[in-house]
Amino acid sequence: MEFLQLAINGIALGAAYALVALGFVLILNATGAVNFAQGDLVAAGGFLAVALAGFLPVPGLLLLPLVVILMAGLGLAVSAAAYWPLRDRPPVAVFISTIALGIVIQNGLNGLFGAEPRAAPPLFSGGHLEFFGLVIARQSLAIMGVAALLIGGVQLLLKHTQLGRRLRATAQDREVAAALGVPVGAMVALTFALAAALAGVAGLLLANQFFITPTHGTDFIVKAYIAVVIGGWGRVGGALAGAMLVALFETVVAAWTDYAVATGLLYAALLTILVFRPQGLFGEAEGRRA
Amino acid sequence: MAEALLTVAGLTVAYADVRAVEGVDLNVSAGEVVALIGANGAGKSSLLKGLMGLEARVQGNITFAGSDLAGLSPLRRARLGIGYVPEGRRVFPGMTAEENLLVASREDSAARTVRTAEMYALFPQLAVRRHAPAWQLSGGEQQMLAVARALMTRPRLLLVDEPTLGLAPATAQSVIRVLRGIAASGAAVLLAEQNARAALATADRAVLMRLGRIEASGTAKAIAGDERLLRSLMGG
Amino acid sequence: MTARNPVRAWLGRDINVLLLAGAIGLAAWPFFAGDAYSLRLLTVAGIYALAAIGYQFVFGHAGALSLAQGAFFGFGAYVAGILSVRMGAGFEVTFPAAIAASTVLAALVALPVLRLQSHYFALATLGIGQVVLLVAVNWESVTGGANGIPNVPALSLLGATVGRGWPMLLLVWSLVAIGALIARRLTGGLTGAALRLMREQPMAAEAAGIDIRGVRFAAFLLSALYGGAAGALQVHTVRVVSPEVLEFPVMVMLLAIAVIGGRTSVAGAILGAVLLVHLPEWFRPLERYYLMAYGLALLAMIVAAPWGLIGLLRHVRQRWLPEPEPPPPVAGPMPVGRPPARLEITGLTRRFGGIRAVDGIDLVVTPGESVGIVGANGSGKTTLLNMIAGAEKPDSGRIGWAQADIAGLPPYRIARAGIARTFQTLKLVDGTTALDNVAAASWHEFGGPGRDAARAAAMALLQKLDLAETAWKPCGALPPGLRRRVEIARALIGGPALLLLDEPAAGLTAAERDSLAGTLAALNNDGTTVVVVEHDLAFLEKFVARIVCLDQGRIIADGAPADVRADPGVVAAWLGQPLDEGGGHG
Repeated sequence: MEFLQLAINGIALGAAYALVALGFVLILNATGAVNFAQGDLVAAGGFLAVALAGFLPVPGLLLLPLVVILMAGLGLAVSAAAYWPLRDRPPVAVFISTIALGIVIQNGLNGLFGAEPRAAPPLFSGGHLEFFGLVIARQSLAIMGVAALLIGGVQLLLKHTQLGRRLRATAQDREVAAALGVPVGAMVALTFALAAALAGVAGLLLANQFFITPTHGTDFIVKAYIAVVIGGWGRVGGALAGAMLVALFETVVAAWTDYAVATGLLYAALLTILVFRPQGLFGEAEGRRA
Repeated sequence: MAEALLTVAGLTVAYADVRAVEGVDLNVSAGEVVALIGANGAGKSSLLKGLMGLEARVQGNITFAGSDLAGLSPLRRARLGIGYVPEGRRVFPGMTAEENLLVASREDSAARTVRTAEMYALFPQLAVRRHAPAWQLSGGEQQMLAVARALMTRPRLLLVDEPTLGLAPATAQSVIRVLRGIAASGAAVLLAEQNARAALATADRAVLMRLGRIEASGTAKAIAGDERLLRSLMGG
Repeated sequence: MTARNPVRAWLGRDINVLLLAGAIGLAAWPFFAGDAYSLRLLTVAGIYALAAIGYQFVFGHAGALSLAQGAFFGFGAYVAGILSVRMGAGFEVTFPAAIAASTVLAALVALPVLRLQSHYFALATLGIGQVVLLVAVNWESVTGGANGIPNVPALSLLGATVGRGWPMLLLVWSLVAIGALIARRLTGGLTGAALRLMREQPMAAEAAGIDIRGVRFAAFLLSALYGGAAGALQVHTVRVVSPEVLEFPVMVMLLAIAVIGGRTSVAGAILGAVLLVHLPEWFRPLERYYLMAYGLALLAMIVAAPWGLIGLLRHVRQRWLPEPEPPPPVAGPMPVGRPPARLEITGLTRRFGGIRAVDGIDLVVTPGESVGIVGANGSGKTTLLNMIAGAEKPDSGRIGWAQADIAGLPPYRIARAGIARTFQTLKLVDGTTALDNVAAASWHEFGGPGRDAARAAAMALLQKLDLAETAWKPCGALPPGLRRRVEIARALIGGPALLLLDEPAAGLTAAERDSLAGTLAALNNDGTTVVVVEHDLAFLEKFVARIVCLDQGRIIADGAPADVRADPGVVAAWLGQPLDEGGGHG
């Protein structure tokens, strides 16, 4: 019973992490570069929800579309400032530029909101539900629902729309996509917008139960990064599974031992995986993307 | 002869290390297959990439259907009606065969479906494999997919780079035959091919390249008949 | 040297100017603003400079994005702090202990981490920092937990207390000076050129006998060593050790110093550290937005001046005070040739997916021979060459060379056994002179201080290949024909017994081809065995006595050029066959 309780909390957390990891891996596939600001975009989304709630005292669910739109705009700004000028340089240049951009976001948030933890409004309302003795926070259920809808929506977009096919073609072979008339520059910018929107939603979701501070971004990026490495560099499904794994370590394993030991074990597991399976747990032996 | 669809004058393509193509003059008219033949490294691929706008350091004049292509991006060239089948096929590996076709279309969804059906009629094998991820297709299927994908854009000029490389003869033959059919339907085809004899058997005209320059050009028949000229492709 | 304007030559050495200006500035500035706070800031800047100089070994010189430098720095601080508070140890104990601890930590994690590439390496090194931080926060009995350990005593060296202010500042900056000198010695001279080759053209570096993994290991350990030293100084300066020293902002600070100052220049690390430590003070009017401005400055630097302030200074100097080209160095003796050996390949096979790129090849090349390897695209020529040179590992088969089987050995060991190579697409360092491109390849032989000897040997080769004029020209500015030859000169500096060339004539004009053929013929006459992969039979016929033709990974012809040219199978491999007759392969 206790395990089930923990597992449900873990899945809710993992659902939010999965949104972050999904954005991370979309950019990775589209550009070959790591967006280190992805974690700070989560914090930005959380604070955006906090700020919006100050003006509009409505449930979080109604704030969600606003957060998505504004964060997508921020994503375009990220691609213009930290990716576009460096697109012809080695990917490590983008890694560093997005670290710099992360500092800007983090300290911008700190300047605007201060270092105190803040909470965003819940999606519907607070409170708990009980099923057969399991106590489940409504917010946890809402997180799972919203994340599942969004991940499903992104999958639908990628698989079943022309825009999605163009985004994937750009990610798989940019040169050939351009030669077939796909506007690859716009596709990359859109990918950043999508990734930032996903991060923003994750921020809104997490900022209710767990509060949010400007420096939280580093934690999120590390977790997304680990999820993507475990899942197999560049594999969307793997990243989602990796995010769940990270969250389960943080809840279930942490409850059995303690948080520090669980995190230590997570890193130990990560290093072990990297040594024996450099392609990740769910990656193919010959990954299509290095 | 009717006015050429594509006119190339004094084209030079350079990389950091080498001048891959130097001073090439060439024209291709609607309805004809022109073969670019030459050994590996003769500059055929670089010439096609230069025409498509995929090489940065290109000099010379390229006129296509009355438009000057200088400085145009691959995107703009594609939209003017140039289709491209890259060397090594380069299908989008993680997408299904059908998605590979759909993504190249710039028409609305109904027209896209019609065009896809036309492609399946042209390459029945692709219809069978339509839901398979492209990386699982055989070399021949991938080559057909790459050609069909380019045709989805309804090109007036199709650039085809080494389509028979690594294919079994029968498969290579069917790919080449399709190119012939494309020209018959009114488009122009510029075919870069290392298998000189196969290319010459299909093409109307041929251009022999060696060391980045045009060594000879003429009707395919005349060149195929000149054994001495052909052997110059081996060097010397 | 008389032709050079001495003032200009001296001014030209921006590093000297910068160091001198820095030293004067440092000496003078505290007199104007010599309050305790300024002295402390400058001391902290020195500490960061030392950690950043260390970070440059791995990030700048080895070109690996490590995110563990903050961890080595913080680990050193903790070790020194704990020893000092709990055992009352003096600096003579805490300093070496911190250095040793960080270096040992680096050595322990190096084994799994150093094999990883780029993003994986970055994440794994980031993970090291996170684990050390976790331990520091949670092992409360030793580390003091989240609050850390307060009241670290002032630094005492052999019983004498080094107090706050001037004494501490002088001690720190003396150690910075020592660290800077050591770093310059370790990375200067020929080593600098070799490291650059390794960063920009790793395959060429391996082919020149450089053990890249070994160098990366050394760089990683050195970075930890400097990090630990800086950490020990940090704890005695701020007098407290807390988890903050292990948190990500410290790592970001070191990264920013290296990016903004300059990735490989010691002066850049010092400049960057002084600048970035003081930056928040200058941005004080921005109050809590000052760190945001610092992020923006970092971003602007990456976009506008990727090589940092020192790179910018060099660029400006090159523009306004161009240094005249020095006279070429005097050529030394030619490199001593390795003893000739016989290359004996049996059953060599390499598969890619289901395709056998090389399919059971047997081939013997006797000493002094010159052999051309031809074949259509995809016939396995380059794969064969790469396996001989170690760049690809065979699935099965034997490559006999000088009484040993070299199949599957790493490229640097094959290079050291006397087999040199060139590449299909040139792998030269464009920003480096032709002379140093060639000289760098002999680093394994001459070592860092041997630059003059290496340059003399390189000059002899440049003369032999008619490249004397290009000695001081950057390779990127040379025409293709000359660049090809520079690469051949580089391959020859180890005095190889066997030279492998991969399409050396690609992209050359007819005249350039003729002259290259002459060069290769002369080399072969001097006793070097030559194996050339090529397409153009006419080019090969000018200097080889034997041609081997591959098709689909197998040898289909082997003999005198005229016989091979007439072979019907060879003709078909080149010109193809009409497809309806069947059997043709492009």
